[in-house]
Amino acid sequence: MADLRKFLRERWRYIDAMLAVAVIVGSLAYIYDLLVGSRGLDVAYITRNYGLYVHAVLTNVYATTIAFLVGMAIGFSVGWLRTARTMPLAKFVLSLRAERRARSEDREVIKADSGFLIFFSLLWYGAKYVVRRIGDGFVEIIRGTPLYVQILFASSFFIVFLREYATEGLLIGIITLAINTGGYQAEIFRAGLQTVHSGQIEAARAIGFSRLRAMRYVILPQALRLIIPPLTNEYIGLFKASTFLFVLGVQTEISYIALHEGYAGDVFEIFAMVTAIFLAITVTLSFVVQSLERRFRIPGLGIEAVRKPRGVKMPAPVA
Amino acid sequence: MVVAGLLMAFVILPAIFNFSLLSTQFWQIYTRFYITGLFGTFFYVALTLPLSVVLGFLMGWARVSRIRIFRWPASLYVNIFRGLPPLILVIFASLFGTSLIPQPILDRFFAGFRRGDIAVGIAAIAIAMHSSAYQAEIFRAGFQSVPKGQVEAAQALGLRSWQGMRHVILPQTFRLSLPPLGNEFAVLIKDTSILAGIAGTELVAKSRDLLGVLSASGLPIVWIFAVWTVVAITYLVLTYSVTRGLRLLERKFHTPGLEAISL
Amino acid sequence: MIRVNDVQKHFGALHVLRGITFEVQKGEAIVIIGPSGSGKSTLLRCINLLVEPDSGQVFIDGVQVNRHGIRHEWVRQQVGMVFQSFNLFTHLTAIDNVTLGLTRVKGMTHDKAVEKARELLARVGLAAKENSYPAELSGGQQQRVAIARALAMDPKAMLFDEPTSALDPEYIREVLDVMTALAREGMTMIVVTHEMGFASNVASRILFMDAGKIVEEGSAEQIFHRPKEERTRSFVSKILR
Repeated sequence: MADLRKFLRERWRYIDAMLAVAVIVGSLAYIYDLLVGSRGLDVAYITRNYGLYVHAVLTNVYATTIAFLVGMAIGFSVGWLRTARTMPLAKFVLSLRAERRARSEDREVIKADSGFLIFFSLLWYGAKYVVRRIGDGFVEIIRGTPLYVQILFASSFFIVFLREYATEGLLIGIITLAINTGGYQAEIFRAGLQTVHSGQIEAARAIGFSRLRAMRYVILPQALRLIIPPLTNEYIGLFKASTFLFVLGVQTEISYIALHEGYAGDVFEIFAMVTAIFLAITVTLSFVVQSLERRFRIPGLGIEAVRKPRGVKMPAPVA
Repeated sequence: MVVAGLLMAFVILPAIFNFSLLSTQFWQIYTRFYITGLFGTFFYVALTLPLSVVLGFLMGWARVSRIRIFRWPASLYVNIFRGLPPLILVIFASLFGTSLIPQPILDRFFAGFRRGDIAVGIAAIAIAMHSSAYQAEIFRAGFQSVPKGQVEAAQALGLRSWQGMRHVILPQTFRLSLPPLGNEFAVLIKDTSILAGIAGTELVAKSRDLLGVLSASGLPIVWIFAVWTVVAITYLVLTYSVTRGLRLLERKFHTPGLEAISL
Repeated sequence: MIRVNDVQKHFGALHVLRGITFEVQKGEAIVIIGPSGSGKSTLLRCINLLVEPDSGQVFIDGVQVNRHGIRHEWVRQQVGMVFQSFNLFTHLTAIDNVTLGLTRVKGMTHDKAVEKARELLARVGLAAKENSYPAELSGGQQQRVAIARALAMDPKAMLFDEPTSALDPEYIREVLDVMTALAREGMTMIVVTHEMGFASNVASRILFMDAGKIVEEGSAEQIFHRPKEERTRSFVSKILR
């Protein structure tokens, strides 16, 4: 008895690992048995059709990549827009009043163009405020509603207003995905740009960098480190989301499933293939993210701060 | 922020697409679809949310365990379910679902249900599992951000290991994980819309049902946009209230020195 | 009171404790000094079994504690421990930190526990801070709460693992004062510290450890001024200067 206990304690690491592998293999085998069982795996079906499925997933990759790049343009503009500093309206009105009071002590002549000045600065601030709020609203709507609803909205739009393009599922899909990822990327860019401390810009300017060079040598190296990992995560998320293309009639893996399900009875084989292809892409990419983070990590510069999975909201920007 | 979003949905979209959300005729027809759909969504959320939290918590706990029998299968689970798109999971779950449940159990407990309903239920569980993989990572981060010294101090006081878990580690983990959990709940709520793709009865599916009869019954075509705007606003309100709710909860339990993790 | 007999401990390939033997009488205050990495902290953790010795025996009140059939929780109630990094429970207020062990381990009612905790907090001079969270306290205050938390379990002995090393200089005094008072009241204590003033005032004996062994043992006067071993001499000369 004591011997057994000693044996278990000394060999525990190996026993533990073997049991863990046994649990994994056992449960996978159990599922395999339930789904395939006695009929046997249809290897011929896989060898005959895997090209079809790889091609289908490549369609996803194609759509994802284009949408991602377009979305990056949208995301950067909107994200940058939202970092723009605007004064709260109440504070602005107060400062205007103070200014008017100061001016009223001056001669009458200035009064005329001071009204003019106030009108234009009000217009400028108002425009800035409205644009920023529109950015907020865009991001909020994109992130707060399901992609499915967005796709259905877009396809309805094409059906009603652009009938001749309504059958171009891939085009509609890419446009929707681009707008969708734009909303998500806006948050990433905003957080990345805001996380680089304003003190850094001041410090760079203080040692004689121009604004442009400060951006090039100080801000970007920091912001990119913060932005690249969440952007890669966003790419993974978008890739997963691109399966919704089938709703628009694009020939993807899911439409093949629907095609084959009725008569082939090889659904498990399809499942195995699709799972393998998807996991190969997503797991590789997440591995890339992790190694990127490790490689570029600088002590004290929090990458964690902006590393968010898709759909996670960040704290509201500080006005 | 959400105010800006709601304002845009309420004012700008109707203005662009030339419809009114105040039309009584629209609501006379849509209300029935809307209510059924909303209850369907609530039903699926009520089914998936608790399940995903429990699963996610257990998996997150297993992932920080020192015992490999727990840790390795949990890692596999998390990587598989995070790596697959929810839509694919849902479709295969609805196809396989019933064959994964042993026949005797099916006969005994689910005899009253239609086969299709069981399939949708299992697909909902697949969504819960997808979300639970993300929640597992949140809980894992929560567990890992409780310093080792806290465990040691609990042991040094003579607390048993489950007492240390219950009174020292878990309260801190939960506090740290609340806001990111709220965000994940919002994602889960949005993901239930996927069930519309496989004959689930919820908001998106019911709204689509109305649109199917729209052109045939001679109603204005722009109602399409009215319907989707209402659906969008509904999801916006739902996701906003759940993230906001958990954030408030965190603020209520807030203790100095314990800041929420950002994942 | 506490007897440690030929305790050995390995961490992987690292041989941390190479046969430690010593004894502490009731009411004694032992100070352990030594360079970092010499195994002082591990030795303390071996006494309350936060680290289980590979071989050798640990006795508390004549009972061997590192053998099968003795519950670790019981052992840890016998000896209190104070950590270098305080390790106060972040989510609990000062008073809740003290009462947690009382209610959950000792099974005391909440009211009685609070009463006792107030008494202890007053004893370490923190009666006014009972509702503060650890993050709202200074390092010195946190460490005093940690001492009160350990005392609440009515331990037979106290272990201090470099209790002042993580403190800003201005807070060291207040913690040492509490510890000195405790020693004067006759608490059995084992203290790992680099505070030589405290050691010479309070210690009944000083152990010098190096490379997992007790190199020299003696009174403060002897260790600091007439060390026998060369290693002790060089270490002492570095820290006393």
